[in-house]
Amino acid sequence: MGDVQWPWQYSFPPFFTIQPNAETRQKQLDAWRTLLLDYCRTQKVSVIDVREGDLLPVFNNTTISRKLSPDAIMTVLGVLQKTGNAEPLDKTRTRWNVYWHTLDEWASIVYKWAQDNAMLNTVCTFYEIASDSGDLNGIDDGVLTKALRVLERRQQAEILTLDGGSGVKFFS
Amino acid sequence: MGMLFGKPKVTRITDHDRAVLQMKQQRDTLKRYQQRVEKLLESERELAKRLLSENKREKAKLLLRKKKYQTEQLERTEASLDTIEKLIQDLEYTQIEIKVIEGLKVGNVALKKANELFNIEHIEQLLDETKEGIDKQREITDLLSGALSFEDEEAVEAELNELISVEHQKAIDLLPTIPSDELPVTVPETKEEDKLPTKKIALEAQ
Repeated sequence: MGDVQWPWQYSFPPFFTIQPNAETRQKQLDAWRTLLLDYCRTQKVSVIDVREGDLLPVFNNTTISRKLSPDAIMTVLGVLQKTGNAEPLDKTRTRWNVYWHTLDEWASIVYKWAQDNAMLNTVCTFYEIASDSGDLNGIDDGVLTKALRVLERRQQAEILTLDGGSGVKFFS
Repeated sequence: MGMLFGKPKVTRITDHDRAVLQMKQQRDTLKRYQQRVEKLLESERELAKRLLSENKREKAKLLLRKKKYQTEQLERTEASLDTIEKLIQDLEYTQIEIKVIEGLKVGNVALKKANELFNIEHIEQLLDETKEGIDKQREITDLLSGALSFEDEEAVEAELNELISVEHQKAIDLLPTIPSDELPVTVPETKEEDKLPTKKIALEAQ
């Protein structure tokens, strides 16, 4: 995991307060969207708990002592949800999945991995997929499951469960 | 996961797949164990170093002893991992072999079917039928063009001959009549005597 390349906005105190002006807010939220997706990708953060948001450096810049409030975090996540880059995990919308690739993209990435590694028509474990050295390295189990469900709908894979552990069979 | 009720239509997962998955899960467990032990070894080495620097030789020795045991454990894990990976490979290979045999079977069936087409009786029958067809076709043409019987054919032949002989006669008639009077006895002219003066000479010589 490399260091995060913080954009200039990160050291700009008003960035941490949702702006009232519609146009400014639009720009601000766009910037937040990019920043959060970048952050999640490089730091491999797949689950965000809004209540513990200030534990993540992205929402809490200690150098300028500014934090993004839980409500604001929720707003940012809402923006991500619209583009299929985030999804609440519970009804209260406190725990969220962040997808720096949309689930459709993840599904295609996983399937391509299976093709490239000659895994079609054989079973493999989730651990096997997550040990990949590329994009899939360390993929969150929950995200992987959801991506595989997409493949199941495309008739390209089937998930099977054996005493707790899960595996998947890819079809050509 | 979440598939407890309402099994999805037709599952394409076989018992074989389950077996392979189980093996792979065990392999993963071993791999994870390996990772854990390796991390532990690393931290214990650090700890032993620190103990040494703090002059706690006995404790450091104890720790190193523990570490030695864990290294052995790691080696054993390596061996099991090897076995399990081999087993997985074998399992997957049999699956491929089954596919190959299935492929051969399909090929065999196709070949048999193709050969059935070349069945001798079948071909004889086919040829017979073709011949019959040709005969029939010929009959039809004959009927349509009012074919002639053998006698008719002879008559036609005779007529044709007659016509030919008449034509022949005509051609003969057209030829100039052969002169019936006696030919003057002449000596055929030779090439050297082509020129008139020589001709005269020749005549004189007569």
